[in-house]
Amino acid sequence: MRPRYKRLVDNIFPQLPQDGLVKSNMEKLVFYSLSSPEKLDRIGEYLFQRASRDISRKRNGFVVIAMEAMDQLLVACHAQTLNLFVESFLRMIQKLLESTEPDLQVLATQSFVKFANIEEDTPSYHRRYDFFVSKFSSMCHSNHSNPEVRITIRTAGIRGLEGVIRKTVADDLVENIWEANHMDKILPSLLYNMQDSKYYKDETGSPEVEDKNDPALLADACIRELVSRASFGHVRSVLRPVLRHFDLHGLWVPNSFAVHTFRIIMCSIQSQYSYAVVESLMSHLDENSDSSPKIRTSITHVLSKIIAISAEESVGPSVLEVINSLLGHVRMSASKVSDTEEAQYREALIGCLGEFTAHLPDYQKVEIMVFIMSKIPQGNSRDDSRLQLMLLKSLLTVGKRYTNIAMNTTFPVSLLDPLLRLCLSGGIDTALMVQGILHVLLDRHSNAEKLSRPTLDVADAGLAFEPCSRSDTIFMRKFGEEIYTCLLEILSLNDVTVECIESIYTTLALIAVELLTAHTITAYLTMVYSIQEIALSQNNSLSFPRRYNLHAVVAALLVLVPEIMQIAPLKEYAGKLIGERRSAGAAHLLPELLVTYPGEVTPPAFQIPVNLLVDQAVLGECLQAAGLDTTVMTRSLTHRHSWVESTGVTMRGSVTDLNSTDVESANSTPGLPRKYPEEELSFEAMKRVLADSTEATKEEEKQKREQLFNAFRNTTFKDIVNNNTVRFQVVIFI
Amino acid sequence: MEDYKFLFKVVLVGNAGVGKTCLVRRFTQGLFPPGQGATIGVDFMIKTVEIGNEKIKLQIWDTAGQERFRSITQSYYRSAHALILVYDISCQPTFDCLTDWLREIEEYASSKVLRVLVGNKIDRDDREIPTHVGEDFAQRHNMYYLETSAKESDNVERLFMQIAAELMEQARSKELPRYDINSQNINRRTTTIGDSCCSRSS
Ligand SMILES: Nc1nc2c(ncn2[C@@H]2O[C@H](COP(=O)(O)OP(=O)(O)OP(=O)(O)O)[C@@H](O)[C@H]2O)c(=O)[nH]1
Ligand SMILES: [Mg+2]
Repeated sequence: MRPRYKRLVDNIFPQLPQDGLVKSNMEKLVFYSLSSPEKLDRIGEYLFQRASRDISRKRNGFVVIAMEAMDQLLVACHAQTLNLFVESFLRMIQKLLESTEPDLQVLATQSFVKFANIEEDTPSYHRRYDFFVSKFSSMCHSNHSNPEVRITIRTAGIRGLEGVIRKTVADDLVENIWEANHMDKILPSLLYNMQDSKYYKDETGSPEVEDKNDPALLADACIRELVSRASFGHVRSVLRPVLRHFDLHGLWVPNSFAVHTFRIIMCSIQSQYSYAVVESLMSHLDENSDSSPKIRTSITHVLSKIIAISAEESVGPSVLEVINSLLGHVRMSASKVSDTEEAQYREALIGCLGEFTAHLPDYQKVEIMVFIMSKIPQGNSRDDSRLQLMLLKSLLTVGKRYTNIAMNTTFPVSLLDPLLRLCLSGGIDTALMVQGILHVLLDRHSNAEKLSRPTLDVADAGLAFEPCSRSDTIFMRKFGEEIYTCLLEILSLNDVTVECIESIYTTLALIAVELLTAHTITAYLTMVYSIQEIALSQNNSLSFPRRYNLHAVVAALLVLVPEIMQIAPLKEYAGKLIGERRSAGAAHLLPELLVTYPGEVTPPAFQIPVNLLVDQAVLGECLQAAGLDTTVMTRSLTHRHSWVESTGVTMRGSVTDLNSTDVESANSTPGLPRKYPEEELSFEAMKRVLADSTEATKEEEKQKREQLFNAFRNTTFKDIVNNNTVRFQVVIFI
Repeated sequence: MEDYKFLFKVVLVGNAGVGKTCLVRRFTQGLFPPGQGATIGVDFMIKTVEIGNEKIKLQIWDTAGQERFRSITQSYYRSAHALILVYDISCQPTFDCLTDWLREIEEYASSKVLRVLVGNKIDRDDREIPTHVGEDFAQRHNMYYLETSAKESDNVERLFMQIAAELMEQARSKELPRYDINSQNINRRTTTIGDSCCSRSS
């Protein structure tokens, strides 16, 4: 007499397999299992034995029925005893998966998925899913000769993997699915099913065509689910095989699939970890430093596409690490043999930098600009200048995304100072690039286009501007002189180009539009007058055409000033001067600027009649008539204390520094060359650069402070009055 | 209880086209598949054999030789009890790559894994690698050596049966690596596989 449970099991099988499960008997079996749960494990074992026998006899119909019965029992019985039943259930599934018959494999997977969706009361910690991961991954690669069967098996494989993930992901004790052993199988299997599909290329994603059984879509969903469950420690386990897969399958160029994959990873990952994805891609770029520039460019483009998503989540150190790493790549590339592809790679890096910073708050953009600045070499060698240009371009990219509210936050000393110094130490190309950066940062009202080259028609240009704020005025009084000195020096360089002169005009014109006030106009006009002095000076070796260019710039600026500040006499004077130049046939002293001037120009550069030149005294009178204080101008002009003469002293900042409340800005003091940090890439080093104050320079600072006080004691009153800042402070505090 | 006493995982590796899939099909299905296509990823086969009175179940993982599948195939080495490294005796480059394969095996497989070198396609008359060269190589690297023909069914049965026998012996003397699921390094063993490991060429 066979035991009752065996009879109950036997009864669920029909005479002929095609008749299917005997439903009424199945109900009896379920009822029995529920009332005697302790028998469940034996029922499972018996069903398994029967099915094994049927498999070896190739009676697949009965195998299917056995599996169906097990499914039903699994769903019906929630008891603690399920645990033992599950062992038989999984052995059954494994048995079916071992078969070469696609039908049985698919059936097994379906049952496995059902099982995966069941919550077990006490998961079995000794249970291992190793075989299932291996087998399902293998199925994902099915190469069955019949395409339909192939798709079916692959689909089953993906569903199976999804099941394993669901079953294990929540509880590391069950099976650590994040282990390389599993991830190295799961991810390549999923990606392999996605990469050749066209679905990701269809940006519009028409959902009605979506086939629920499309392996690519299933794999896509599975990756999203997996990634969304990853904790910080797991992110790398997921990404490592992904990156490896892309390398081995040559999926970087073209990179549409890579972009798609990394986008879905970024979208699914818990947002606080998205930075880790960027970091991984970044270090993958490191590892590819010897790969072709095409591959590097492609990886960088992928980075660009996803980096914005991460920027919103990035904080503090991670931001600078990203920037630092990108700059490191720029530097590395700058040292390589430069061809078009390498250049494209660098462009990609810079583009990536822009994408990343675009989404950062403005204060961080300033920090980043300062940081980039600190990485720019000041040398003049060919390698240096190439790197200079690349890094300045990076800086420009960041600058373009920045919104300037107040000049003093836009231009911290640690940015302005080295920027100006670079203007002079680098070549003309560097100076030009710096102008570009100044334009972008200064131009708060989008006037740069209208002021791109000297013109006399500014009245019709429709310039936009607002009254200059008090803090901006202070900024200008503090740093105006430094800026002017630098720009004037470039204008007096014998290799200055028309393009460069035009560009400096734009810088000066933007300063006028943004920063001209009753407090800054005197210094401004003095500067304009100094340009004429350069054009006339015999101390430089400027060519005649460049001298004419400078006169034209003077005229253009003189026309511009009264457009900003309503000073009728000045407007009148500017109009008169231009009229005289015109009637004297001296068009070469007016815009636009030419590279060469045709034939005999009269009068020659050194014999310009006084009536065609700007008269310093008249300038002073104009200001006086407008009720503006001209002490500074008359003194500076009377004493020939113009900036032109100070050429050679790059920054005449020592007295200015007296007034800067932060002694740190004494960095600009001449004779104490500012130290540039070694190529040290630690976060500490970055912080030091940002703080613009290093431990090591404390002692130096103390000395500087003493020097400044001495300078103050020994400086005559006149000199102090000449110094705009001091006088301004006096005005303010009286 | 299931109907076997031992379960061993056997993994086949080697260059594309050396005949790994044919060897497996010959052994598991007793046929030589015409126009066998390149393996994609990893194939799986099962075969239960009997040695003495013991049933031994062999899980056979047949990996793709193509380079692009390397990342997934390597992950199968890790839990292998035996690795069959196959080359084609009529194709010098497949032999030249053996050192690369060994490096991979060192990196990804258990140090205790049973390693067997197989020179396949001995039915061909354009042999490039003489038997003694393969034999020497195997000896130097502590591998079993066997020459086979999947086509003519030469030594195929013997290959898998010897592996099964050797693994069973190891298992009995408890030398079988215990796979600790949390670590990749499996009980590093200082001694070599043993005296019996050297050349057993045909
Ligand atoms: N003459 C001869 N040809 C063989 C033998 N074994 C395999 N081949 C042929 O070699 C070719 C490749 O065999 P496969 O078994 O697909 O090779 P593989 O190692 O599995 O290749 P991958 O799956 O790409 O790694 C096929 O054309 C087979 O017919 C053999 O023993 N003798
Ligand atoms: Mg194959």
